[in-house]
Amino acid sequence: MEHLTLADEIVVLMLDDETGAIRPLCAGFANVAIAGGILMELALLARIDTDLKSLYVIDPKPVGDEMLDSALQEIAAEPRHDGSKSWIRHFAFHKGDLTSHVLERLVRAGILRAEDRRLLWMFSRRAYPQNTGREEREAKGRLLAVIFDDAIPSPRDTLLLSLADSSGVLDAILSADELRKASKRIEQVVAFEEIGRSVKAVEAEIRLQIEIASIARPM
Amino acid sequence: MDINQEVTDGMAVYRITGRIDGLTSPDLEQALSSSINGGTSRVILDMRAVTYISSAGLRCILSTAKRAKAGQGGLAVFGLQSAVNEVFEASGFNTVLPVVSDENEARLRLGA
Repeated sequence: MEHLTLADEIVVLMLDDETGAIRPLCAGFANVAIAGGILMELALLARIDTDLKSLYVIDPKPVGDEMLDSALQEIAAEPRHDGSKSWIRHFAFHKGDLTSHVLERLVRAGILRAEDRRLLWMFSRRAYPQNTGREEREAKGRLLAVIFDDAIPSPRDTLLLSLADSSGVLDAILSADELRKASKRIEQVVAFEEIGRSVKAVEAEIRLQIEIASIARPM
Repeated sequence: MDINQEVTDGMAVYRITGRIDGLTSPDLEQALSSSINGGTSRVILDMRAVTYISSAGLRCILSTAKRAKAGQGGLAVFGLQSAVNEVFEASGFNTVLPVVSDENEARLRLGA
């Protein structure tokens, strides 16, 4: 892996440093964020493009990354040009456990370690502590620079902020006061990119479903 | 997509015709970069004849605006057709760069 994709970076940011697991706040949205990250990376690599209604392939040439190429191949094989929301839902909900897939590829890349930890001496679970934490620090630094600087952000940083906003990462790395003060700036930057807006829309659908399920649950 | 460029009063004006998308935006980006690299960091896009813009096209404009601002200049656009204006409004680009109705206003916003 020469450099981290946006899907890799958002997973690193979603990890809890102490437990080595995806933060509980982010867990329900992790697959959506990864699916969005895959599409965003393909867009930055000039393989796909989007508009307000559709997502389409502009260059089907493989990029040399198995996760991205698998997604690109699937999009290229689909004759209909569905919108980005539809593809985010497809990859997030119908392609298995994307989160575990990305965690394992980060282990293979030497960014994370895989450790089997015992919980209450009975249950075993896999934890993914970071080897150096350099990647997380670098990504967090870029996010904070976009949020607290009024300059026009780069497309990659704009997209990373969209993912961080939708997945709950910002709630984890900023205080409530910081988040409140930065909310207008975050809203402004997230709007720049169509795929970022779609990730946020799918995340809102999930939140609504969770709310409906909690209301409908028998007492 | 066709691009015609002229420089007057220290501002580079690009008159663009056709679609700005993932296939054409690299050419646009290259053309816009030539002005900024050549020291003209006040850039105006005449988009009266642009019929379509995709996310890649918007990304190209935003990246250029970032570089223009870094060079103590800026980027303004004018003459958006309704379909293109809809895309600009959805992305909130008017909050970070001047989106105006005509060339005179674009020049004024860039400090003519």
